[in-house]
Amino acid sequence: MDQRMIAGHAPTAPAARMDNHGPSIARVALRSGQDLFARAGSMIGYEGFIQYEANSSGLGRAAAGRISGENVPLMRCHGDGRLYLADYGAHVVCLELAEDNLSVNAANVLAFDAHLQWGVQRVKGVAKFAGQGLFNLGISGTGWVAVTSRGMPVVVDCAQAGETFVDPDALVAWSTGLRVEGKRSFKASSLIGRGSGEAFQLAFSGHGFVVVQPSEDSTDRLTQPQQQ
Amino acid sequence: MARQFQRGQKTRLTDLTLGTDLYVGVQISGPGLVFDISCFGLDADEQLSDDRYFVFYNQPKSPEESLQLLGAQAGDTESFRVTLDQVPSAIHRLAFTATIDGDGTMAQAAPGYLRIVAGGEEVARYAFDGSAFTTERAVMLGDFYRKDGWRFAAVGQGFDGGLAALLRHFGGEVEEDDSADDPAQAAPQGGAPGFAVPGAASAPVAPGFAPPGAAAPPAPPPPAAPAPPPPAVTQPLPVQTPHAPVAAHQPPPPPAATQPFPVQPGPYAPPGHQAPPAYPAPGQPVPGHPAPPAAPYGGPPPQAPYGGPPPQPPFPGGPHQQPHHPAPTPVAAGAAGAAGLQGAFQKYGGSREHRRWAVQNPQLVRADLGIDGKPVLARQGSMVLYQGDVEFGYKGAGMRGRMTRWATGEGMPALMRCTGTGQVFFAEEAAELHPVELQGDAIVVASQHVLAFDESLDVEVRRIDGHGIPGGSLFALQFQGTGTLVITTHGQPLVLPVTNATFADANAIVAWSAAAQVLVANQVRLRRHAYPGHTGESTQLQFRGAPGNFAIIQPYEI
Repeated sequence: MDQRMIAGHAPTAPAARMDNHGPSIARVALRSGQDLFARAGSMIGYEGFIQYEANSSGLGRAAAGRISGENVPLMRCHGDGRLYLADYGAHVVCLELAEDNLSVNAANVLAFDAHLQWGVQRVKGVAKFAGQGLFNLGISGTGWVAVTSRGMPVVVDCAQAGETFVDPDALVAWSTGLRVEGKRSFKASSLIGRGSGEAFQLAFSGHGFVVVQPSEDSTDRLTQPQQQ
Repeated sequence: MARQFQRGQKTRLTDLTLGTDLYVGVQISGPGLVFDISCFGLDADEQLSDDRYFVFYNQPKSPEESLQLLGAQAGDTESFRVTLDQVPSAIHRLAFTATIDGDGTMAQAAPGYLRIVAGGEEVARYAFDGSAFTTERAVMLGDFYRKDGWRFAAVGQGFDGGLAALLRHFGGEVEEDDSADDPAQAAPQGGAPGFAVPGAASAPVAPGFAPPGAAAPPAPPPPAAPAPPPPAVTQPLPVQTPHAPVAAHQPPPPPAATQPFPVQPGPYAPPGHQAPPAYPAPGQPVPGHPAPPAAPYGGPPPQAPYGGPPPQPPFPGGPHQQPHHPAPTPVAAGAAGAAGLQGAFQKYGGSREHRRWAVQNPQLVRADLGIDGKPVLARQGSMVLYQGDVEFGYKGAGMRGRMTRWATGEGMPALMRCTGTGQVFFAEEAAELHPVELQGDAIVVASQHVLAFDESLDVEVRRIDGHGIPGGSLFALQFQGTGTLVITTHGQPLVLPVTNATFADANAIVAWSAAAQVLVANQVRLRRHAYPGHTGESTQLQFRGAPGNFAIIQPYEI
């Protein structure tokens, strides 16, 4: 057998609670007592003794999300070992929050530390907009979050421009300090925004950043009840 | 081809390699564990009679440098260079050990290995994991020992104490075990070689020393430095050669042909831009792989997997810059995370270049409409973000004159017209984007691969009909003039020079130089009817043209 393939992709020692193995696998060093919420079905492998449970403590919140149409099926992972997570080959970004606030599109949440504060947020001004972006997962505190992005994301600092307009289908996350408003496009004849036929963007302003993925097609997988 | 060793297994070294200048790599890790990996040079009595031959982090080499500690590289936690024919005859055994520094036991160790690499090629590997151990805090992994020449034994014997106890063990106690050749018996004790004939193993034809995937400077080599491998190493894939000339996204040798399309820096890195080969997982060098500067799998070259514009590599200083550094894949993510969110996001900040078309990352381009004020046409819905004053209009009747058939053709992209002074970011389903700058020349692009282009370019619809082409005909747009267009590809494309027999699959073709002539070639084989099977590859596009023409193909058939 060709050892080059095997040795070249062998796991390396984790350097932090969460890091990347390649661009699209998140590796989490789990310790008992430090549980993790992960997107249900995102586990691709693990070493050690790790158990998975349907999210019990956060069930209320998950249920709230379900009613609201935002489906964030989470599972709770606990135990000791290394957990490998991925989401259909999407690019994974591991973030360490230090008393930060992050609002992540529910479709783009891969995993986060269970001790972080989180909740399903409704994005104001977007109520009439169909599809994703309507509800987000607000995550705050100190800990790690893994976010997926279809393709390599770009992070835009909103402080540099007056207003930044984002196609909601391509939106991954933003820092919650930003002001967000929905914006309908200017002319009836303009056609941007795929699928809906509706021209719609989110306008961000203030100090903070917006994470955008180079793809607009994440909706289909979101609405597929693949984990149910 | 590496030979796999089991615990206790032994062999003559000459059965593995004729080389005596060896690289020994040890990979061992465990959650929260820190390992010290050292090498003991023991005398005939299994004693460390000369402590200059205890090679460890504080003493990285032996006096005559036959044993050198090289540090972590190529995926190994620790590595050594062992020049066996220079090992003094008083040294009879080289024992490689790993000890846990701090708390923990060997049972927690993750799967690891000890391997021997000669001439850049892995010849032996002993893999182990924590399940073989219990409360041990040290392990003797493997030995080179003299018995009618050098031999290698995969020991895998645990040891209760730490490094100090191991030292004491080698200093104070003597273990007698003369049955070195009997694995079953010798294994548990690590096997003493008994008496061995002094003198180095003879090695008539010896591959040179080379740590896997790196050159072999005499001194402990820096982790990087890709260099042509020793001749013993075979090229990984023959495919490389045919494609190598193409690497520059420009037709190969004959520069006489019109200099085609200067491509903006970006996914197609300019020739000479040295970056790691694209195939191995980012930052993970492939051991034993010579890692030629060109991408081992041919095609457009040195493109870091995430390679943004050279000025601002997305992983600054990260593993991608150091193909041979074993830094656990993108530790950068973790390391940068320490600086908080801003730090973690730094590498995704994209380029700040002030130019009309800038590559933000391989999948995103930014058009700055303000730079010369001319509008950009783009596929509808391809905008993911914009800043500043930009208007999006439907692109319709205005272009009818030039593109009569555009309106009727199936598969033609619906376009929008972006005007204003702001910056627009374009992307399309995470496909790779390649801006191509035309300077008076012409290129034909299959219509579904056009993402955006300057309105200043002249566009003409070309249609290739032929029996067997999916959908009946292939629509393509011919761009001409001065300006930039952005092409999408699924995966890293291949640029083939047009020769007298260049064929492409109609599903995989992305673009070709306008001067190349396209023919539809059907493979007619009488045999096909004789058998039920069908290769599915019966219709191709053939390209013909003067040298200097090219065709771009993507690794994905729509």
